[in-house]
Amino acid sequence: MRMGLGRSVDYKKELEKAAKTMILVHEPDALIKMIVRMLVQKVRITHAGILLHDKARDTYILTVSKGAAGFKIPAGFARIDSDNPLVRFFKEGPDKKYFSEGVIIYGEAKKTAVSKGAEPRLRELAAKVAYQMEIYEAVACIPTYFRDELLGILLLGGKKSGGPFSRDELSFFMALASDVAMGIRNAQLFRELELELDKRKRLFINTTVALAAAIDAKDHYTHGHTARVTNLSLEIAQRLKNRNKYAINDKAMEDLQIASLLHDIGKIGIPESILNKEGSLNEEEHKKMREHPILGVTIIQAIKELEDAVMGVKYHHERFDGLGYPEGLKGENIPLIAAIISVADSYDAMTTDRPYRPAMQKDAALAEIKRLSGLQFNPRIVEIMAELSREDRL
Amino acid sequence: MPKLLIVDDETDILEFAANFFRKRKVEVFTAPNGEQAVSMAHSHKPNLVLMDIGMSGIDGIETLKRMKEMDCNTKVIMVTGREPQEDASFNKCMELGAMGYIHKPLELDELEKVVLKELMKI
Repeated sequence: MRMGLGRSVDYKKELEKAAKTMILVHEPDALIKMIVRMLVQKVRITHAGILLHDKARDTYILTVSKGAAGFKIPAGFARIDSDNPLVRFFKEGPDKKYFSEGVIIYGEAKKTAVSKGAEPRLRELAAKVAYQMEIYEAVACIPTYFRDELLGILLLGGKKSGGPFSRDELSFFMALASDVAMGIRNAQLFRELELELDKRKRLFINTTVALAAAIDAKDHYTHGHTARVTNLSLEIAQRLKNRNKYAINDKAMEDLQIASLLHDIGKIGIPESILNKEGSLNEEEHKKMREHPILGVTIIQAIKELEDAVMGVKYHHERFDGLGYPEGLKGENIPLIAAIISVADSYDAMTTDRPYRPAMQKDAALAEIKRLSGLQFNPRIVEIMAELSREDRL
Repeated sequence: MPKLLIVDDETDILEFAANFFRKRKVEVFTAPNGEQAVSMAHSHKPNLVLMDIGMSGIDGIETLKRMKEMDCNTKVIMVTGREPQEDASFNKCMELGAMGYIHKPLELDELEKVVLKELMKI
């Protein structure tokens, strides 16, 4: 079979190929480019382009165009407004008597413009349509609708071999046009879904921030503590990622944000008399205080989406040497997000005033963190802290 | 035949616009940058210049200024990609004596009308 010579193209096969690709393409631009390229290559027409509706400006912009030099209209160079005869023609719905396939063929438009049988209004519109087609050197114009909305117009040049388009070819064009519409619509839905997800994510984070504020409000001495720990934790994680992009993925980054916001949520269950006590805690109070990670887990474990973030809340008081609580996990067995929060939490506690002691200087706090590297803290994270300090980012 | 000089640093646009007007019985010259545009305006004395504002190197405004200094009767229509009301450079062009502007994406029939109308005057 010689490809590209009019009828010899297996249009059904090409359509199936297009449909398959469409499932994979979320970007309508890529899909449209592919379809326009296919038209020029397989049907062998001189040039093809597509005008796509820009909703914000209510105008149709020539987005993709392919063909020989001088024919190809650069993307974004040309537009037609919604009062353009071509748009009006398709919006009104082509008169089936003169435009049998629902598409405009230049020859038919010219004929209709002078047809004695046609209404004067249709004759006038057909003449204007023909003129627009001359401007774009289009031989056929194919509309792409979604429901009643005109999403775009395919502009097709003539066949390189000359001669009119066959019925097969016209129905192939129509099918492609509806593929385009579906592709655009899918991409729009996909984008809307992403926006919706984004909105929900923001709502969720904001709710978490509000919860975190509730913890801070209860504990007089830790004003702003949660926000600072969260910021420092995220900064540490970002740097770990910069060193090794596999160290922490996007999901873990989100978990870390939630976990650091909620790391002290268990303190809601600790009496204020213990939280705000001046002077050191007795053994029983100390025991109670050490329950807050598990109390935190109890509070948030019902939320399935927080499954991984729970790890950060539960283990942020574990120590690298295994002497921490609640489980005495050791070394790299401690989940990374918990190990990060542990360092950020301790550093912030050291550098702020507490009921039982004044704040430490930054240098002194960092020195303490370094001294505890491999004992209380994961050395990898201590290294990042040193780096942040050198850059004066602490 | 009326003479039109088209100035744009995008080859695709130059090729398309040149082809478009040649088919309409216009003698077309093209320049891919401001410097060549100034020297072509000098050597070919076009009846009209169609020029992009946002070119790399010497931009459309500076090129317009140089053309006008050379021959204040040169007629120039500017093409801009930005919205004119937001565009201070548009006002600058009008001050420098540009006879009009068209902004992209443009309507081809409008482009045809504006340019041919101007060229018919000669």
